Amino acid sequence: MSTTATAAELSPADGSPPAAPPDLGPCPLRGARHAAAPKSGFAASSSNSPRGELSLRVALRAGRSVAVQQFHQGALRVLRPHYLDGSGQVCYVMVNPGGAYLGADLYVVDVEVEDGASLLLTTQSATKIYRTPESFAEQRMTIRLGEGAELELAPDQLIAYREASYRQNTRITVRPTSSLVMAEVITPGWSPDGASFKYRELRLRNEIQVEGDDGAALLALDNLLIRPPLGDVTGLGFMEGYSHLGSLVVVDPRVDQALADQLHRLTAGYDAYSGLSLSRSIAGTTGLVLRSLSNSTEELNRLLGACTGLLRESWYGRAPLNLRKY
Amino acid sequence: MASYQLALQQLTDSALPTGAFAHSLGFETYIDRGLVHDEASFGTWLAAFVGQQLTYSDGLGFRFLYEGVSVGELDAHLSAQLLPRQLREASTKMGGRLIEIGTEVFRSAELEAYRTLVTTGRAAGHQPLAFAVVARSLGVPFEEALAGYLFAAVTSLTQNAVRAIPLGQNSGQRLLREAHDDVAAAVEHVRHLGWDDFGAVSPGLEISQMRHEWQRARMFMS
Repeated sequence: MSTTATAAELSPADGSPPAAPPDLGPCPLRGARHAAAPKSGFAASSSNSPRGELSLRVALRAGRSVAVQQFHQGALRVLRPHYLDGSGQVCYVMVNPGGAYLGADLYVVDVEVEDGASLLLTTQSATKIYRTPESFAEQRMTIRLGEGAELELAPDQLIAYREASYRQNTRITVRPTSSLVMAEVITPGWSPDGASFKYRELRLRNEIQVEGDDGAALLALDNLLIRPPLGDVTGLGFMEGYSHLGSLVVVDPRVDQALADQLHRLTAGYDAYSGLSLSRSIAGTTGLVLRSLSNSTEELNRLLGACTGLLRESWYGRAPLNLRKY
Repeated sequence: MASYQLALQQLTDSALPTGAFAHSLGFETYIDRGLVHDEASFGTWLAAFVGQQLTYSDGLGFRFLYEGVSVGELDAHLSAQLLPRQLREASTKMGGRLIEIGTEVFRSAELEAYRTLVTTGRAAGHQPLAFAVVARSLGVPFEEALAGYLFAAVTSLTQNAVRAIPLGQNSGQRLLREAHDDVAAAVEHVRHLGWDDFGAVSPGLEISQMRHEWQRARMFMS
């Protein structure tokens, strides 16, 4: 199916064939060794058909980024696109009408930003993971950026409730000239008795490949695993006494040590314990990962907003993001 | 006596010149913040380091190598998942020295193949993989090799803490004895993890490794 941005709110029941699940790529341990090493003992969610699917392809048309292909089905869709400034960057807001992820729910998101196009992708509200007895909720996201393409991924915070398990697998392929900025905040969750860290498992894995002329190579693997039942995650060596975790991942040929120094100075002004470092470089592009611990979602949002604001201003000449939720 | 026993002792000796004395792998940041200042607080850090970093990254890479995953594939994963730059550099500096030493004294076709990948720029040469390649070629069984590797890492870090905090020599020995259980638990834990667990990080350890880059006064390179 091929629709234009103006037809972005078509009903999901339009008879289009569902997009194929994304290829999660080669795993050197396929087969027997996987079976011998269960990931966490729960039934896999992926045997069911996805509860929500979204596929979005953005391209540059006459100086503006527009969706040239869009598909959604089940409990995922996007609101009509808008343009926050005159830069031609298109902004889409992802919506989960059900409002929550439940056990065995699988969400599949496939995003492509073609050469020279620019997409800001956010969510309408926090991602809430409710109890997932005997299983886990899962989001699989595949992202592909073309030459000179830009993607800013700025979802609302993730909240895992008591006895929730969640896996988020994001596979990103960039070209050496692509620009990627993604920010994420994870809360300590919520339980009826007010205690935090009552969820069972959060697993957020970002795998970033650079596709150069000689094939693809792994630039950065950002793998976060928090399993409160396995041991105390709150203290020294893990959450360091803080409750909230923020992450920022940037991949861009302009990432360098001077930018790392600049962002390091910026983080000092916030009530958070932060660190950042540069990844290896491949084909002229480099990653930067910032991690930050704090006691509030708002403080982390301010900190991550300041960092992305600095990038928006110095790289794209855009004002800092001020997302009103529609 | 097993044919590999003395070779394994030589490889795990803290006098093996890999440069481990120059790396705190992040604990110097905790010293700077006043959070690691005595035997007990260093023990807390060490247990977290063994249970997280050494389990999910070094230990799991070690196991996958023993199970036959290609060393090039594992090397690329370690370079991508060791996000703090100083940690990545520590792993390849010590790995490079281990490959050199191994080539001098424990030569094998597998080690030569890994060395070629590194000298031609197709691999970075990470410490746990270099150790695992040598140990496997010597016929050291997996659990013995991994326990030896982990305890050698624990010993270097403890010696560094004894100098840096500083602690008494008897404190150091008590810490090492206490780490026996952590190392045994890590070897057992590594057996039950899967590919998706490879490189899972603890935010606190990682942030301290990152912040070390900007620390003013420091004794260690990481």
